[in-house]
Amino acid sequence: MKKSFTRLAALSAAALVSTATMAQAIKVAQIVELSGGGTTAGTMYRNGVKLALAEINAAGGIMGRQVAISEMDTQSQPAIAKAMTMKAIDEGVTAIFGPVFSGSILVSQADSQKAGIPNFTGGEASNVTAQGNPFIFRSSFNQSMGMPKVANYLANDLKAKSVAVIFINNDFGKGGRDAILKELGARGVKVAADISTDPGQIDFSSAVLRAKQANADALFAYLNEEESARLLRELRKQGYDKPLVGETTLMGAKVIELAGAAANGVRGHVGLTVDAPTASIREFAGKFEKEYKSKSDHNGLKGYFSAYMLKAAIEKAKSTEGKAIAAAMKNSCFTAKQHPGLLLDVCYDDKGDIDRESFLVEVKSGKQEVVATLPMLNKR
Amino acid sequence: MSWSKLHLAALVVGVLALAVAPAFLKTYGLYLLTLWLVYIVAAMGLNLTVGYAGLKSLAHAGFMGIGAYTVAIAMKAGISFWVATPLAVVICFLFGLLIGFPALRVQLHYLGFATLGFNVLLVLFFRNEEWLTGGTFGIQNIKRPELFGWSLNGNAAYFYLVLAVTVIAAAALAFLLRSPWGRAFAALRDNPIRAESTGVNITAYTLMSFAIGAAYAGIAGALFAPLVNFIDPSPFGVGTSLLFLLMVVVGGSGRFYGPVLGSAIALLLPEYLRFAKDWYLAIFGLSVVLMMIYLPGGLLSLKSTLQLAKSKRDAKLKEAAQ
Repeated sequence: MKKSFTRLAALSAAALVSTATMAQAIKVAQIVELSGGGTTAGTMYRNGVKLALAEINAAGGIMGRQVAISEMDTQSQPAIAKAMTMKAIDEGVTAIFGPVFSGSILVSQADSQKAGIPNFTGGEASNVTAQGNPFIFRSSFNQSMGMPKVANYLANDLKAKSVAVIFINNDFGKGGRDAILKELGARGVKVAADISTDPGQIDFSSAVLRAKQANADALFAYLNEEESARLLRELRKQGYDKPLVGETTLMGAKVIELAGAAANGVRGHVGLTVDAPTASIREFAGKFEKEYKSKSDHNGLKGYFSAYMLKAAIEKAKSTEGKAIAAAMKNSCFTAKQHPGLLLDVCYDDKGDIDRESFLVEVKSGKQEVVATLPMLNKR
Repeated sequence: MSWSKLHLAALVVGVLALAVAPAFLKTYGLYLLTLWLVYIVAAMGLNLTVGYAGLKSLAHAGFMGIGAYTVAIAMKAGISFWVATPLAVVICFLFGLLIGFPALRVQLHYLGFATLGFNVLLVLFFRNEEWLTGGTFGIQNIKRPELFGWSLNGNAAYFYLVLAVTVIAAAALAFLLRSPWGRAFAALRDNPIRAESTGVNITAYTLMSFAIGAAYAGIAGALFAPLVNFIDPSPFGVGTSLLFLLMVVVGGSGRFYGPVLGSAIALLLPEYLRFAKDWYLAIFGLSVVLMMIYLPGGLLSLKSTLQLAKSKRDAKLKEAAQ
């Protein structure tokens, strides 16, 4: 009898301890593309978040509480992203990271908004932050902020009078194409060819042929990672010799890895790059490569940034309540000096759009080289 | 208790269990359950075309897309869900008739390819006609309907609507299959030449099996759009059509409850396998392959397969004893 009593006491004590630690942990969820068309981007983002949270936990957590993370695969499908968001909300998470694909976050953010949970995304389509959702936060530029910089580069630096545009026909590519056409029009640059390609497309020979026949001064390409790499290979194969300009994805580390030598000479604007001449970013690049045996691209940086952004916001709000966290980020700036994990100084506006320094880069012998660092759009 | 009474009792228990389920489920579970019912409706339609009438169709997701887009576009134009849904069903029915015509000329995989081409065309239409369908940006904020001033916006309320529609659609199909039509469809599948010689109008029944199957996809699409609140071309691609075919075949092609089981496996099994992390889709694929090797007639053929194996064994034993 006595023995069983002590056992019972020990058991209940153990149960108490475990519930106490559970109550302490801050639960977050990653809802990312781990299979399907978005695997490259989703896995990078996931690894970035994981790396940051491991560091945060090792350093004592957020406000003394550990962060517990659950990972869910969206199969790159919006309807599943929505279901996973509901699942995360049922589990009572404090914040949600992902999805990365704009089409998915457009659907899933309605649910995190209803539940009042801050939702970080890697999506870049303009309409992601145009829904009036106070709980959505980007980790990279809105397309409509990146494209003016690209158009300036094409019109002023390259002095292009006409440009051929190749884009991928999904919400990401179509949104970018609409934005660049508007910006080019405003600068009097002619669009010599407007070429649509499909998600998952393998053969880019006819697209490249049309671009060649358009005989424009430069080519602007805006596709997802794998498609970008295939396009670059085909462009080189057909001997395309005009300047190749992109925005973020075309010069991404994963694209360079997949396209090999075909990526050399590509230039354009990137919001984030591991090759930035910034000590904190270089340090991140080393840690990421050591942990995952592959070089991080901008999506890895986005994930890493998102996790540290959550930490900074919770510490500022001194609360893990969704509304307080969101309010702490709105119309606020955070410095990398105070929060090293953010890597660069950042500012959020009232819609969840982000502003920070960005870079003009060129790919030389398989590496991104930063040609110029561009200041924040809106100096505060 | 006779078999049919037992069947009825099981059915009533099943529907009652579904009716009380919302009380025990959180948002996510309820969403999955609702999605399952929507898939059942779609798969029942495909089961009629593929399982009962024996016509290989790979355009089912496309038909579902027609239903979903019709409802979404109509509701955005201010037309009530209750008007838009019958409209969607009628449009799908007509498209089903249209795509039935190639089925009069070609069969088996040739028919599969013809319908697959039709599905690709539909996705291209959804994606490129931005003025109508919203293109790749899709249609957002599709509202859930009201019934007699009673909002069905809540997850449980919408679930009951979908459950009611599913039960009605299933009853209608059961009725159809028990009528001479059902016999005619089976005759068409098993031996079209003999069917024709006994006076079955093959042309009419081929077209009808496509049209009715498509109409069921239309119902599913009409329920899908307000459930997710958002549609874009991606869920209506050829991949989903193949998934529907998988549901029918895995469940038991040409068996009434096949789609119920098949869509449960296609939708819920990957969810329950999520604990296996990176491997869950691989395990799912492998289990489907194994199922197809050992149970080619689908899960519902388990009983008859076992019985067949037992009678074979008995026969062998008997032979050995003699």
